[in-house]
Amino acid sequence: MTDISPLYLPQPAVINEVIEENSQIRTFVLSFCDREYNEKFTYLPGQFMMVSVPHCGEAPISFSSTPEEPGHIRLSVRRAGRLTNAMHRMKKGDVVGLRGPWGNGFPLDDMVGRDLLFVAGGIGLAPLAAVIRTCIKKRDQYGRISIIYGSRTPSDIAFADDIAAWGMEKDVECLLTVDKAEPGWDGAVGLVTSLFDRADFAPGKQTALVCGPPLMIRAVLSDLGNRGFADEEIITTMERHMKCGVGVCRHCHMDGRLVCADGPVFSLARLRGLEVMELG
Amino acid sequence: MSDKLILKKDHLTTFLRKLSKEYQLVVPLKNCHGDTLFTVIEDLDSQPPDLVNQPQNSLKEFMLPQQEVLFTYKNSPGDYSFSPATVKPPPTIFFGVRPCDLSAVLYMDVIFLQGRTDPHYLQKRENSVLIGLNCNTSFADCFCNATRHGPFLEYGSDLQFTDLGDRFLVEAGRSRGEEIVRKWGYFFAVAAKEDRARKYQVFLEARGGFARMVHVDQAIKRLREKKVDDSVWHELSLRCQDCGGCAYLCPTCTCFTIIDRPVDNVRGERLRSWDACTFAGFTNMAGGHNPVNAATDAIRQRFMHKLCYDVKDHGRPSCVGCGRCVGICFGGTDIIRFINMACEGI
Repeated sequence: MTDISPLYLPQPAVINEVIEENSQIRTFVLSFCDREYNEKFTYLPGQFMMVSVPHCGEAPISFSSTPEEPGHIRLSVRRAGRLTNAMHRMKKGDVVGLRGPWGNGFPLDDMVGRDLLFVAGGIGLAPLAAVIRTCIKKRDQYGRISIIYGSRTPSDIAFADDIAAWGMEKDVECLLTVDKAEPGWDGAVGLVTSLFDRADFAPGKQTALVCGPPLMIRAVLSDLGNRGFADEEIITTMERHMKCGVGVCRHCHMDGRLVCADGPVFSLARLRGLEVMELG
Repeated sequence: MSDKLILKKDHLTTFLRKLSKEYQLVVPLKNCHGDTLFTVIEDLDSQPPDLVNQPQNSLKEFMLPQQEVLFTYKNSPGDYSFSPATVKPPPTIFFGVRPCDLSAVLYMDVIFLQGRTDPHYLQKRENSVLIGLNCNTSFADCFCNATRHGPFLEYGSDLQFTDLGDRFLVEAGRSRGEEIVRKWGYFFAVAAKEDRARKYQVFLEARGGFARMVHVDQAIKRLREKKVDDSVWHELSLRCQDCGGCAYLCPTCTCFTIIDRPVDNVRGERLRSWDACTFAGFTNMAGGHNPVNAATDAIRQRFMHKLCYDVKDHGRPSCVGCGRCVGICFGGTDIIRFINMACEGI
């Protein structure tokens, strides 16, 4: 009999900490209950896990942590449906199921020696945070890092402590904007693209990594193209409904590609010619 | 398929009875309503296989059941654990499988076994022996000649039968088939030259006997060249009644969903069930956003997948030309309708 791997069987993982990023987003710091499994487990920034919550099924969640800090993983979850709402009710010591890592991850090797531009909106900063943390851990391998992050309101700014810490690093610049100001906010107001004139762009020696709501992705990809970025220099990561996570059930179909197996990370060059919601 | 043997039709029941001693046997069988379905046969003597009518189901439900338990789980405060499902299917022989349905299993092999192995599919597949039966005459809605999956199967079965009147020509395709003819060799005689010639004659007649002319290659070409007008998708999406009948009957529609079924507060099962890309909620994301516009594009994925994406990824369409969706669709959005619309005006 052929050896069969437990493709659909999750591994129990315990919640070590819950970080409230904003009213909608919580980061769960997790480690696998099986100590040996936990020690051996690794992944790539950009990959995701299928997260099981009792009686709620599974949902795909990207890593927001770096594999350079082994022993635990971070999954940042926005409250959106039944499973994520149930997860938001979970506390330190509760157990979830994790299956993965699935998907392709960001092309970190291709980014070595280049400047990096991160453009994110809302929960879209979560998968990019995995890359930012990795690049900061290996700071000498990468050039300047610019992070442009848009939130709905100042109180919606997620990963605020992380952003503050990243901004203290050498040659790391963080620019924030909000759609709607609140009393006490003296920062920028407007779309992430409105900050583009303030950032140092260097098409040709810079890679842009983009994640956020579809409309934001569309606007950013088109703006970056106008500023001279080649399609190969623009990388985005997509969100879709998923069931299997391994390229079989086809819920995440995207004009012949499957986001779970062919992505979720795509260069703009790979998306060209496909009918994709994010490209309009 | 090297060895060519003869099994007299008079000996078929006895042969199947022998097989049924060691295997579970699944054959096309007429039920009390007069419908022919692939069925686990218990008693060969009371009712012979129906090798005349097209079975309404395919082998899909045996390899990918409409619903199956992937694993069970337990949960209590501080505990959430998972146990693999332990059901093991018995060794099964599928007899009388038409080239379309057999090709569909070969397609499922690619989907579930290439790349990451699906353990649940593998378990059923590696316990199965496929005995094919070539089609001497086509059924009403068949067009396997146009998708190149029939009417005769070239490779992929364990044993392949061709009806030559009072006898079957039997060819062993894979080692499991060879094992069977070796083990029960006394049923078989070596085929004469005339038998082999007769098979070719029957094949030529079968190939020329299709009632329907379906321009599958043309549709594939027009899809590849993006020449199918948006109005075709819109018209078909409008007509589609979202019943999922086509996907359920289709031997190669393998999309599925995964859900939890609680048994009680502290136990449950994770289930895999058939799904259909035409369903409005198939791509619906948490929070309500849907990347597919159901009103205009619900049915696009279905035909693009079968006639464009799979041709690109696997070299041939995953529509096997069985025609089942033609019979079941009451909205008039079956694949032949689509192919005709896509090729209109050429």
